Amino acid sequence: MASRGISIVVARCLSSLEWLFRLDRGVPQGKARWMVDGLAGALALGVVAATPAAAQEKPAALGLGIFTFTSGPAAAYGMPGKNAADLMIDEINAKGGIGGVPLSATYVDEAQGAQGVIAEYRRLAGNAKNQVMVAALSSANCLALAPLAEQLEVPTVGWNCDTHQLLIDGKSKYVFRPNGNTVPEFVAYAIYLLDRKPDVKTVAIINPDYAFGHDAAKIFIAALKVLKPDVEIVAELYPKLGSPNYQTEISRLATARPDVVFSNLWGADLENFVRQAAPRGIFTSSQVILALGETVLQRVPLPDGVIVGVLGDGWWMSPDAKAKPETVKFAEAYKARFGEYPVFPSIKMANALIYVKAAYDAAMQKNGSKWPTRAELADAMKGSKVETLTGTAQTRADNDGLVDQIVGVTVKTSAQQFPVIGDMVRYKGESLMPQAGQDPLAWIATLKPEFAKGLPKPGSYK
Amino acid sequence: MLNAVIPLLLDSLASAALIFFAAVGLTLVFSVLRVLNVAHGSLYSIGGYVAASICLFIASRQLNPYWSFLALLFSAVCVAAIFGPLIERGLVRWTYGKSEAVQILITFGLFLILEDLQRVIFGVQSFYEDAPMRLLGTTAIGGVVYLNYQILLIGMALLVVIGLRLLINHTRLGRLITAVVTDREMAQSIGIDTNRIFILAFSLGVFLAALGGALATPTSGIAPGLGADTMVLAFAVAAIGGLGQIEGAALASLIVGLARVLAIYLAPSLDAVAPYAAMLVVLLIRPYGLFGSVAARRI
Repeated sequence: MASRGISIVVARCLSSLEWLFRLDRGVPQGKARWMVDGLAGALALGVVAATPAAAQEKPAALGLGIFTFTSGPAAAYGMPGKNAADLMIDEINAKGGIGGVPLSATYVDEAQGAQGVIAEYRRLAGNAKNQVMVAALSSANCLALAPLAEQLEVPTVGWNCDTHQLLIDGKSKYVFRPNGNTVPEFVAYAIYLLDRKPDVKTVAIINPDYAFGHDAAKIFIAALKVLKPDVEIVAELYPKLGSPNYQTEISRLATARPDVVFSNLWGADLENFVRQAAPRGIFTSSQVILALGETVLQRVPLPDGVIVGVLGDGWWMSPDAKAKPETVKFAEAYKARFGEYPVFPSIKMANALIYVKAAYDAAMQKNGSKWPTRAELADAMKGSKVETLTGTAQTRADNDGLVDQIVGVTVKTSAQQFPVIGDMVRYKGESLMPQAGQDPLAWIATLKPEFAKGLPKPGSYK
Repeated sequence: MLNAVIPLLLDSLASAALIFFAAVGLTLVFSVLRVLNVAHGSLYSIGGYVAASICLFIASRQLNPYWSFLALLFSAVCVAAIFGPLIERGLVRWTYGKSEAVQILITFGLFLILEDLQRVIFGVQSFYEDAPMRLLGTTAIGGVVYLNYQILLIGMALLVVIGLRLLINHTRLGRLITAVVTDREMAQSIGIDTNRIFILAFSLGVFLAALGGALATPTSGIAPGLGADTMVLAFAVAAIGGLGQIEGAALASLIVGLARVLAIYLAPSLDAVAPYAAMLVVLLIRPYGLFGSVAARRI
């Protein structure tokens, strides 16, 4: 698109020089017009040939900008994503790449903050070799990059990007999220909790102090209030992201004596909280919900009965995932290379790369096997339905993804040394999402207690 | 709320104890060397990393887990013995007599180098070793289960306050330090080896920081960024107490701890700003801190 625009501008500028030739009384007007138009056309063709439209020829490598946390406390979540990207790219390249073109990733550390991330995005997007961005982990960075993706017309796949605010205006052309978002993710926990513990009276919340933590609390509370209006929120704590010490927060939770403690802490924060809260009895005095709990199952001995989930369908041991040989192979290869099984951020990243590959395949199928432009690639992502390692990613008209939500509780099994997820439920993605363009919180407010009755029950996903 | 009074007080003491180790080392170094060491927070986190590494080694070799308590102290001694003389002789001494801006810039440069070195050596993932915490078990106080290790931390902080008082008031080294603090030039003129005092005082400050990091490790993870957080909080405590004041650091730690705990109990959204709000209030009333003064300095 950009090269075509440049060509037109060059041709028009040259045509506008025609008035100069009018001064040349030696050349007849008709010939002058012919000469100028010819020169403009030749130059325009040259410009077109020299600019990224030529990228429709297959490049030597497909550059991907992949944004994740590779340092700081958030790396505990970000590095499994990077590891999965490394592994998945190697696997795709081993099979000949995409349309014969190998993938080559440039990783950007999100720990540098939004300004640095934006600068890196601009730098990568400025290089025509980088045709897709897989960005980002942090919702804040996703929100910062989305307008840039639209402005620079770079297909950008949110591999994590949980905030429901990302695609809320429904106008995005280049930003896609083949995952769920905070609305289905946290409505799912409210439904599962009330199915499992219908007599719940008091709930305390401990979430990280930024958009993801506050949004999740808002959605979870809104869903609880409509599904069981007598539930009381007895404490809402928002410790700073990256806090190493939660002892005071744990004391506060203990004094509130809630029936339920809900948390969407993640990364090192979650690990810290669990390690500090478990010996102090929080897991025995309250029903604890760890929305991102699957990520610490292999690292911390969580007791039985903790409600945990994967923010989507990315549980590599779910029945759907285990039925797919490529998923089992991926999980085993991940374990062999990185020493532990993939956690759901790993699966989300792997699924995002599968989504990119599927879009390239679809775009090339559509345009006669030519290498697609960035715009053609974005077109191919629109409305796509992609089989992932763990389920299906359906892209809606607003570019938001519909994926199922898996929730369960920790159980011990002889098959693994660490707790796994049992008593599972798999909610259909579309059942927990408002319509495109509908305000999510307004949609939640319309739900009735009967809403949950039509949904599958804990233990139904075997 | 009444049923939360005892937990609130105990949490304040536990929170204050953790802050105190870092703050008292910072204030001691400033008192003797008259240098505000911005790299102090990094020495805190290095203490934590070294302690966690030794404890993990003990666990991996299936040695007696109680060795991990000794490992916490040993790691602080090692960090102080290596980094104390090295930094004081190699870098800090070049800043004596220079303006505060130069001192801060140089120690800030050191902070950045140490932070990067930690990433290179220990990686970016969090470190955990909670053996000492698990070994001591728990106690229910005021209806809340506490880690006995938290109570040990409060005791350790008290020991440090008493120990420093004894060192300064009842030992020859303490009197020499007091002489240097009171009048450096006069101390030099009567034959006190100020260079030696500087190394010892700086290493003691490093030891206290590293001890804080090491003691914090069993109840909280160590990850990149901890040094910066610790440094900011230690500065706030040192400013509230009055730069160079050991009792001031102890009282200020309590104030900051209480402010943070009260915020978590009563107004959680103010949790992050509570320590700095406390600092603002104190400095508005006493611009040189609770125990600070313009004219005379003491430790």
